[in-house]
Amino acid sequence: MSRVTFQSLILTLQNFWAERGCLIETPLDLEVGAGTMHPATYLRVLGPEPWNVGYVQPSRRPADGRYGDNPFRLGKHYQFQVILKPSPLEVQGLYLDSLRAIGLDLTKHDIRFEEDNWESPTLGAWGVGWQILLDGMEITQFTYFQQAGGIDLAPISAEITYGLERLTMFLSRKASVFDIEWTDGVAYGPVRQQDEFEFSKYYFEVADIDLHWKLLDAYESEARRCLDAKLVLPGYDFTLKCSHVFNTLDARGAISVTERVGVIKRVRDLAVRCAQQYLASREELGFPLGRADV
Amino acid sequence: MSEYFFELLTEEIPAWMHDTAAATLTQRLTKLVEEFGGEACVCVNTTPRRIAFMLGKLPEREADRELEVKGPPKKAAYDASGNPTQALNGFLKKNNATIDRVVDGGDYVMLRRQITGRGIDEILREQVPQIIEGIRWPKMMRWGKGEHSYIRPIHSIVSLFDGRHAPLAIFGVQSGTTTVGHRTLAPRKIEVTSYNDYVNRLELARVVVDAMRRRHVMAERARILGNEVGGTPSIDASIWAQWQYLTEYPGVVRAEFRREYLALPEEVLVTVMRVHQKQLPIRDAAGKLTNSFLAVLDNEGDPEGNAAYGNSFVTNARFADAKFFYETDRKRKLADRLEQLEHLQFQEKLGNYAEKTKRIERIVRELGGDADALTAARLSKTDLVTEMVKEFTDLQGQIGGIYAREEGHPDAVWQAIYDQYALPRTMSGALVSLADRIDTLAGFFSIGAKPTGSKDPFALRRAAQGIVQILLLRDQREVKVGIEQLIDLATSDQQVKADLLAFFAERVKTILEQTFAYDEVAAAMEGGWAASLTDLSDRVEALRAVREDANFLSILDSAKRIANITAGHDATKVDASRLEHDTEKRLNDLADLVGGQIDELVAARNYRPALESFAALAPELEKFFDDVMVMVDDESVRRNRMSLLRKVGNAVKKIGDVTKIVVDRRDYK
Repeated sequence: MSRVTFQSLILTLQNFWAERGCLIETPLDLEVGAGTMHPATYLRVLGPEPWNVGYVQPSRRPADGRYGDNPFRLGKHYQFQVILKPSPLEVQGLYLDSLRAIGLDLTKHDIRFEEDNWESPTLGAWGVGWQILLDGMEITQFTYFQQAGGIDLAPISAEITYGLERLTMFLSRKASVFDIEWTDGVAYGPVRQQDEFEFSKYYFEVADIDLHWKLLDAYESEARRCLDAKLVLPGYDFTLKCSHVFNTLDARGAISVTERVGVIKRVRDLAVRCAQQYLASREELGFPLGRADV
Repeated sequence: MSEYFFELLTEEIPAWMHDTAAATLTQRLTKLVEEFGGEACVCVNTTPRRIAFMLGKLPEREADRELEVKGPPKKAAYDASGNPTQALNGFLKKNNATIDRVVDGGDYVMLRRQITGRGIDEILREQVPQIIEGIRWPKMMRWGKGEHSYIRPIHSIVSLFDGRHAPLAIFGVQSGTTTVGHRTLAPRKIEVTSYNDYVNRLELARVVVDAMRRRHVMAERARILGNEVGGTPSIDASIWAQWQYLTEYPGVVRAEFRREYLALPEEVLVTVMRVHQKQLPIRDAAGKLTNSFLAVLDNEGDPEGNAAYGNSFVTNARFADAKFFYETDRKRKLADRLEQLEHLQFQEKLGNYAEKTKRIERIVRELGGDADALTAARLSKTDLVTEMVKEFTDLQGQIGGIYAREEGHPDAVWQAIYDQYALPRTMSGALVSLADRIDTLAGFFSIGAKPTGSKDPFALRRAAQGIVQILLLRDQREVKVGIEQLIDLATSDQQVKADLLAFFAERVKTILEQTFAYDEVAAAMEGGWAASLTDLSDRVEALRAVREDANFLSILDSAKRIANITAGHDATKVDASRLEHDTEKRLNDLADLVGGQIDELVAARNYRPALESFAALAPELEKFFDDVMVMVDDESVRRNRMSLLRKVGNAVKKIGDVTKIVVDRRDYK
C-alpha cells in the first residue's frame, strides 16, 4: 500500500472530486459539529439548483473530547465532505474510484455498504444511506438527503463524508490517531494534542455555564433579528453559534433532560426558518445556479 | 414449458429487510402463476443489491376461456314485438358483439364471449413492474431528481422470457439482458440467457445468488476458522441472518482483540461484538470466551490481512472505550447513583427514575420482599446512569447486576438486578421484575398510553407477558399473588384496574394457549384467573386430563343439561322438606355428600379427583331427569328443584365451566 499522510489524503480527495466537476469550497469559519452544517451543504441541498462541492470541515464535538488521551477519540476531527446534487446514478462507483485514487486495491479489501440512516433533530433534517465499512471499519457516511429544515428535497443530494483521521490511521497502520503523519516528518500529535487537551479541559471543566446560557439567548435573538430583516445567511451563522453553545453546555453537563428537548427545539426552529427563508430568497433571485429539475 | 427470469439491480438493501421482501414477492408471484394453472414454480433469490426470481414450468399462453357478460334486463332488452331495443344494441356495441352471441341469462340478457388467452410473456410484462414497484419497504427513499420512492435507487433490470428479452420498465428504467458481477471483485457486464446461466455466470463473477448457500459456505468457513484456534464460533442465528445479506461473495475472516480486554465483563464483550460489530465470538473447548472472533467479509479471502487488521482495529477501539467506561463507572458505587436518578426522566407524566424506584421498592415490600429483594429494588435502575449503559443501552440490568456482584452484593441482590428484563433466577428477582413491570403498566395505562392494534411503543404487552410468566413459576420463585392483587398494589384508579384486568386476561389466554387447547383455557378461566395463575394452570391441566377420560361425556352432558335447565337461576339453597320423589331426595343427599368431598378436593387443589367425583353423580342425575319433572306449574317446587340442580352444577364451578369444552363424540365410542 502506498504511503498516505493526513495531508496527502486531503489533497488526493480534493483533486479527485475537483476533476469530477466539484467546486472546492473552504471550511466554514465557525465552530460546527459536522460538514453537514456548512451552508454549502445544509442550505445548498434546498431547492432545484444543481450543486457539486467538496471541502474539508473541522468538526467540533465537545462531548467526544478525551484530553488527547484516547488513541481513537477526538473533540475536533476533520471531515472531507462531498455533495452531489442531483445524486448521479453512478455515485457509489465514483466513491469507490475515490478509494482507488487514494491507493486502495479494492480486490484485496472488504468494502461493504451497511444501512445507516442519518437524522439531525437540530436541523430538522434526515436522510437514508449507509455507513461504508472498509475491512470492518467505518470510514465514510453516505447519505441521500431526503429532508432539510423540514422541507422535502427534490432533487436529492448525495452526501459523502469521509472521516479523515480514521482513514489515515487505517491506511498508514497507526494504532493511535496522534501517531499518524500530517505530512512527511510531522506527526498529528505534536500539531493537535495540545488543542485536544485544552479544549477538553475547557468544555468539560472550565466553560462558564452562566455565560453560555446568556450567549445562547443572545445568539438566538440575533439570529431572529437577522431573519426578520431577511438576512438569511447571517441568521444561519447565529443559528450555528447557538448550536455550538448548546453542545458546549451539554458537554459541561449543564443541560438536564427536560432542558435538552427545549434547547434542541429552539435551535431547530431557527434552522427551519433559515431553510425556508433561504429557499424563498433563492427563488426571488431566480435560482442563479440554474435548475436541475427542468 | 416456458421460463421467465427477472433481476432488479439496486444499491445495497438493508440486510434485515430481505427475508420479508423475498417472502412477500414469493407470495405475490405464486398467486400470479397460480392463475396460469399448471404446475408453475417460483424461485426468489436476493443478494445485498439484487432481487432476482425465476418462474418455471410456465405455459406459453393463458388458456382460452369463455366469459359471460350480464346485460340489461330482458324486459328492457326487447320491445313488445320482440325486437332489440336501444338498450340491447348499446350493450352489444359496447361488447363488440352481434345479436347471435346473446344467450339466455334468466331475467337478464347474457352475452357469451370467447376470450383468447394472452401470451404469458405479455401478462408478465404488465404484471411484474406492478408487483416490484408495489413492494412496501419499511423505509423508502428518493434519489436523483426525486421522482420515485423505493428502497434504494434502481440501476438495471433483466427480463427474459425463454431466453428472449421481454421488455418492461420499472420507475422509468428500461429492462435489458445484462447485469454486472461483484462490485469490486468482478465489476464487469454479464449477458444473461436463462436462470441457470445467470446463477453460473454470476458465480464466476464472484456473486453467489442463493442466500442459503452463502450462509452454508460461511458457516463451514466459520467452523474451520474456529477449529484453527481450537475453538468454536458462537451459534447465533441473528448474525447469520445478517451476514447472508451483507455479502455477495460469502467470506469470513478471523481476527483477534487484545487479551487485556478479556478482563472486561463477558456480556460487554459479547454485546460489542454481536450487536455493534456484527461479529461472532469464538469460545474455547471449556466454553470460555477467547480473544479471537469472526467477521463477515464480502471477499474470497484476506491475503494481505487487511480485513483481519481492520476488524481488530475497530474492535480494540470499541473495547478501549468500554474499558474506559467500566473503569470510570467502578469509581462510584451503585448506591451513590440514586440521587442522579432524579435527573433521569422515566416518562414526562410519570416522573423520574428516582420516583419509579421508590414505587418499585414499595410494591416489593408489600409483596413481602426481604432485605435482599429491597436492596435489589433500590439499586435496580442505578445502572441507567452509568457510562456503560449510556453507551450500550441493551445491557441495562445486566450491567447493574455485574457491578452489584463486583461490589460484593449477595446472589439474591445482584441476580435480581441482572435479570430484571429477563426471566429471573431468584425470588428477589421475581419480586423486582413484577414490581417494575406492574408499575410501568399501571403508569402508562393511567396516562392513556395503552397499546392499540399493532402499536405498542412502550412494549407493554411484553411487560404483561413477563408478569404472567413469572406468576406461573412454581419453584423457589413462586410468588403467591394474583394479578388482581398485584394491580391493586400499583393503582387505585378503578378504570385503570378494569382496563389492566382485561389486558391481562388476553395475555394469560395467549400464553396458556401455547400449551393448552383454547377450549380448555376458556373453560378454566371461567373458574376465575385473577386470583392465582398457578391455580389456573392446575385447573386447566385437570380439565385437559379429564377430557381424555371415557366418562368425560357424562360430566359434560350433566353440566350442559344443568346449565340449560337452570339458565338464569342462581339460588342453590334447597328446602329438603319440599322434595317429593325418592330420586330427588337421593340426589340431594348425594349432592351434599359429593359436594362436600369436591369442596375439600378443590380446597386442596386436587382438581382431577374433584372432577372425577363429579362424574360419579352422573348416573343419579340421569335418573333424576328420567323420574322428576323440573318444569312443573307449582313455582316453589320448580324453583326448589332448580336450586337442587344448581347446587349439583356449582360443585365444580370453581374449577371451570366444563360446558366450554368442545368434543367430538365419536372419540368416546
